[in-house]
Amino acid sequence: MITTISGHARVLGAGINTDVNCSSKYLPGRDNAYIAQRAFEQVVPGYAARFGQGDIIVAGKNFGINSSREQAVHIMRMMGAAAIVAPSFGRQFFRNAINNGLPVIECDIAGIADGDVLEIDLAAGRVSVAARGIVRSVPPLPAAIQSLLAAGGLIPFLQQHPDWK
Amino acid sequence: MGSTIAEKILGAHAGGAAAKAGEVIVAGVDFAMVHDARAANALKMIGKLDSQSLPFVGKTAFVLDHYSPPPNAEAANTHSAMREFADRHGAVLYDIGDGICHQVLPEGGHLTCGDLVVGTDTHSTTYGAFNAFGTGVEGTDVSAVMMTGKLWFRVPETIRVELSGELQPGVWAKDLTLHMLGRLGAEGANYRVIEYCGSAVAAMAIDDRMTLSNHAAELGAKAALLEADAKTIAWLKAHGAREPKPVKADADAVYAGRIDIDVSQLPPQVARRHNIDDVVGVPEVKGQKINIALIGTCTNGRLDDIRQAAAILRGKRIARGVRLVITPASRQIYLAAAREGLIEALTLAGASVEAAGCGTCVNITGHLITADGEVVISSANRNFRGRLGNAKSEIWIGSAATVAASALQGCIADPREVMGGAWRPPAEKAVA
Ligand code: SF4
Repeated sequence: MITTISGHARVLGAGINTDVNCSSKYLPGRDNAYIAQRAFEQVVPGYAARFGQGDIIVAGKNFGINSSREQAVHIMRMMGAAAIVAPSFGRQFFRNAINNGLPVIECDIAGIADGDVLEIDLAAGRVSVAARGIVRSVPPLPAAIQSLLAAGGLIPFLQQHPDWK
Repeated sequence: MGSTIAEKILGAHAGGAAAKAGEVIVAGVDFAMVHDARAANALKMIGKLDSQSLPFVGKTAFVLDHYSPPPNAEAANTHSAMREFADRHGAVLYDIGDGICHQVLPEGGHLTCGDLVVGTDTHSTTYGAFNAFGTGVEGTDVSAVMMTGKLWFRVPETIRVELSGELQPGVWAKDLTLHMLGRLGAEGANYRVIEYCGSAVAAMAIDDRMTLSNHAAELGAKAALLEADAKTIAWLKAHGAREPKPVKADADAVYAGRIDIDVSQLPPQVARRHNIDDVVGVPEVKGQKINIALIGTCTNGRLDDIRQAAAILRGKRIARGVRLVITPASRQIYLAAAREGLIEALTLAGASVEAAGCGTCVNITGHLITADGEVVISSANRNFRGRLGNAKSEIWIGSAATVAASALQGCIADPREVMGGAWRPPAEKAVA
């Protein structure tokens, strides 16, 4: 089971629509690899180019608002995202992230800057940036969600637990 | 400490007492829906399950409504994959022309009071009009339901909205929701459930209640629940639903907020171009020239909407140069409108009537693409720039009454000021 995640923060603003910024909704016919190289370009130029394997998306409130495409999460995983930290998420985005094995943590992001090394303890419910003395407690993810994430998402979870036990 | 309708329905489906807001539960789902705009993703996810048996597939409907009729080979191929899947596994199938998912599910008797229903569409909140918890999900979720009959949910908080007083003739649930959008902002209820209650809700016909629950999606609501009354139960029974077991909130339920609105003075409302929460009263924008008038969609393409339009337009002609398109929300509605002579009256008045489906809601079929500078008044639910295929045109949103009155005058018009604009639905018969 994944309990701690550590990686560099990559910061985005508030109210990001992931259909617009991270899917093919407005780029018909483009594949995920193409979009992964240009994701969030409209809101933070150079974002995808800087994004590395294991980095953590740190965003303002309502991340994924108004978006519903699961594809956005597939692309974020392809970019190498290990988790997303934001004060709040769009409802459907929150589901899609968990269903596709990407941890989403609801947490205040004040004071966290791009490039900071972030530590997330999912089981204990803690987000910290040691270099800045930031330690924030968040509600620990419920067991049902932790087991989905541990399996890598809902589909792999059901492959292992066909009757959802 | 009491419970909300949402906490009771979700708790009961997780096999226990009422759940509490904030908890995550795994709950049994009564019915699921996949429409053609999400089916390709859902079928891909089901493919990954490589499960030979999908025991709950019979409680899933595949609905061909968005790409209806298909505008290209890719959409047509998705349709044939959906038909083939439904045949092979025994899913319920609604084909092209049967209607919009949110209309055909209740009409088909697939849900009843107290049910938990998911669909691959934001406006799955519509089922709340029948006291069922309806909410939008994605393809992966529906795949899980077909395989296990279950799904995980985070139990939402609820905002209680009391609508007191009585709507004026010519003012509809559409106007109320637009008013709320103006007050709370789009997504003003994100993550939350809205419970609607009060005298104005009790007085509404079922068609109007469905608008109320449907349009709550623009407020960001996870579900929009109404209590059931004799009208609800009669409607469900007439459509062959399972025995309704209504769920009420406790008097001491805990709410995240309460809003009281006296609806008696509310004038018809419109959302101005591009933003669904840029809302004003019709009197403030009366006279704004329009080119295209649209009545339809899962929000306002029901029989009462079409009756209201016919009450305004019967024996008259729409303004010269204006296009009026009517798209009934389902085949049953189309048929009822034909039998009542509404299709004939509207056709004589200059309307084009399309086969049932999502129709002109969004530029998906290519049926309605606007020209540069054209102004649309529509009974749909969304009006962001470019939704009808041209970012240089604009969409304003109003009730079917406002759209019909505007088609008649060639500019945005107040239905209360035109003949027939004060039409009211006939009282629904309470079937024993
Ligand atoms: S009518 Fe419009 S809003 Fe409703 S389901 Fe169809 S496309 Fe979506």
